[in-house]
Amino acid sequence: MPSGALLFQSIILGLLLGGLYALLAAGLTLYFGIMRVVMIAHSAFLILAAYLAWWTHSRLGIDPLLSMVVTVPLFFGAGVLLQRGLLSRLRPATLTMMSVLITFAIALCIEGLLGYAFSGTQRRIQLGYGTASFDLFGARVAVVKLIAFGLATVSLAALYLLMKRTQFGWALRATIQHRDAARLVGIDTERTAGFGFGLGLATAAIGGTALALDTTIYPSLHWHWIGPLMAIIVVGGLGSVAGAAAAALLLGLAQSLLQIPMGATWAQTVFYVALFATLAVRPQGFFGGRLAQRF
Amino acid sequence: MPNASDAASTPAAEQPSGAAPTPAAQPSHAALPSGAAPTPAAAQPSEAAPAPGAASSFRTPSNWLPLGAAALLIVAILVFPSLAPNPYILSTGVIVLNWAVLATAWNFVGGFTGYISLGHGALAGLGGYATGLLVAKADMPSFVALVVAALLVAALAIPIGFAALRVRGASFVIVSIALVLILLLVFQSWSSVTGGSRGLVVPRPFPGMLRPEHHRVFFFLYGGLLLLALLTWWLLDRSRFGMGLKAIREDEDKAESLGTPTFAYKLTVFVISAAFTALAGGLYALWFGDLDPVFQFSVLTGSYIVLMALLGGVRNLFGPLLGALVVGIALEYFKVEFGNSPLHLVTTGLLLGLVVMFMPDGVIPSLTALVQRLRNREASSIREVTAADLAEQRRREQEGVNS
Repeated sequence: MPSGALLFQSIILGLLLGGLYALLAAGLTLYFGIMRVVMIAHSAFLILAAYLAWWTHSRLGIDPLLSMVVTVPLFFGAGVLLQRGLLSRLRPATLTMMSVLITFAIALCIEGLLGYAFSGTQRRIQLGYGTASFDLFGARVAVVKLIAFGLATVSLAALYLLMKRTQFGWALRATIQHRDAARLVGIDTERTAGFGFGLGLATAAIGGTALALDTTIYPSLHWHWIGPLMAIIVVGGLGSVAGAAAAALLLGLAQSLLQIPMGATWAQTVFYVALFATLAVRPQGFFGGRLAQRF
Repeated sequence: MPNASDAASTPAAEQPSGAAPTPAAQPSHAALPSGAAPTPAAAQPSEAAPAPGAASSFRTPSNWLPLGAAALLIVAILVFPSLAPNPYILSTGVIVLNWAVLATAWNFVGGFTGYISLGHGALAGLGGYATGLLVAKADMPSFVALVVAALLVAALAIPIGFAALRVRGASFVIVSIALVLILLLVFQSWSSVTGGSRGLVVPRPFPGMLRPEHHRVFFFLYGGLLLLALLTWWLLDRSRFGMGLKAIREDEDKAESLGTPTFAYKLTVFVISAAFTALAGGLYALWFGDLDPVFQFSVLTGSYIVLMALLGGVRNLFGPLLGALVVGIALEYFKVEFGNSPLHLVTTGLLLGLVVMFMPDGVIPSLTALVQRLRNREASSIREVTAADLAEQRRREQEGVNS
């Protein structure tokens, strides 16, 4: 039985990791809600943002967090373009399958271009505060992890407020809930859907910057993220933001705790076990998941 | 051509909606009597007429086409090893045939049911590792191990398919990708059994054989497996079971409401597909003799397979084979010319994106349509309409009405 301090430490780390998972899963959930699209390239964009943050720091010498000033609007635009230019042009009857292939193709392109531009070498940001940490009731928490968690929490909260309190948020939720009805009350669903995709991709920009702070990055890293993220949105119930957040925290915690007895590599399997168990027992997901029943 | 049955059924299904004389439907009705005049049913422009007319006009020239293509394929397989100028070309031939078997096996699921799996590379890897482990650790005879491995993978495909196929579409793709990632993780970490990243050396089935002769034997083995897979696909295509599967592809809800046991059908065809994929993977293990998890459980393998099948055309018997010829040879060429640069990821991605955006039905239907248009301009008005096209057409019409 591991000591109490170690357990507490793992719980803290698990929650911090879960926060990042929750933010990224929120983006995936948005895409799925808007268009029933499973966006494989989400984690590739995540790694792209991480590389841009690393590049900003190592070449321009500015704090990686400042790269978000550029990457967030850039990714928002890329998301709008992706939805308007590619996904909305696919045939509706085969949209789910073909959109997976399109986004998969985009992920391959991003991975290849990253490898070409920055080589396959592993990269890491060396920050002045990179090794700083502080005590929290006996657990050591690295400052960068806390910054990453803070970024994730703030963005999630902003996303929540945007969805609940603004007119655009209402339009977006209406589009997700019932496209035809939304159009009937005068919402430009095409434009809203495009902006929704931009919003989703912006979460990848923020997540990638947070990730770059304390992780070693390499071009094919995105495969290690897409699996867990896919598992999270299925367990949470495809299309449910709250469900995805709950599943993200739960699975992040489980991964962190299982690292104690099983080691880092095997602990990752918890996501896949959860994925298969969910699909076998309750395919529509454990939290919410109104949309998943039909898909 | 397998399309003939589609062509016979879809225009008939189109009729209820086409009953209202929309502008789009009008020319096809008008052109019909001239195109299919000899059949008495088609002479009167009744609503049921297009079905027999379309079927006969498609069937007559295309009846001998698959047979001719099959004969050509058999001759090509028999002749190629003696024509190959050196062992390298012969080994490339083995690799391309491997891709052809994989793409054809994939097409059992992708072509019939429309469920796109990105994880078939993992099933091939499993077949390879199972064969290798049975030979290396359990001292089984090579080809017994191959068959046992395929059966094992088929058995494993049942729970995988059970989880993946209970819900529609999205979850299936997610599971197929997750399968690759989880197996890569397991086979790399579980090094006491699988050899981990050091790889697994598989003893050769014919110890004293020289390398060119080895390639030749495996070329014929792969050729036989490809013919078996094609024959199975062809038989399924003509069977009631195949009809049910295609009904799932066109409209799963309607298929279910008509009494098709959709889940059982999907699962059965997934298991068949997994068995063929595992056989190809097992043969690869016996041929190549060295397995590495990074290559056996690569997401790229699955995406190459999908690219091949889509490029050739998933609704055609020989579509995946054609795609495998094109993409497989291109892959080998790029490997020789440019080595393993990250740019081949970009090329694959771009090609896949282009095919999905502009040619989702593949190159064979596009070319067939072109030939039809060039040969007989009137016949071009009778064309195969898929449920996807129909839905799109209806949506457009409705939008036209709404706005």
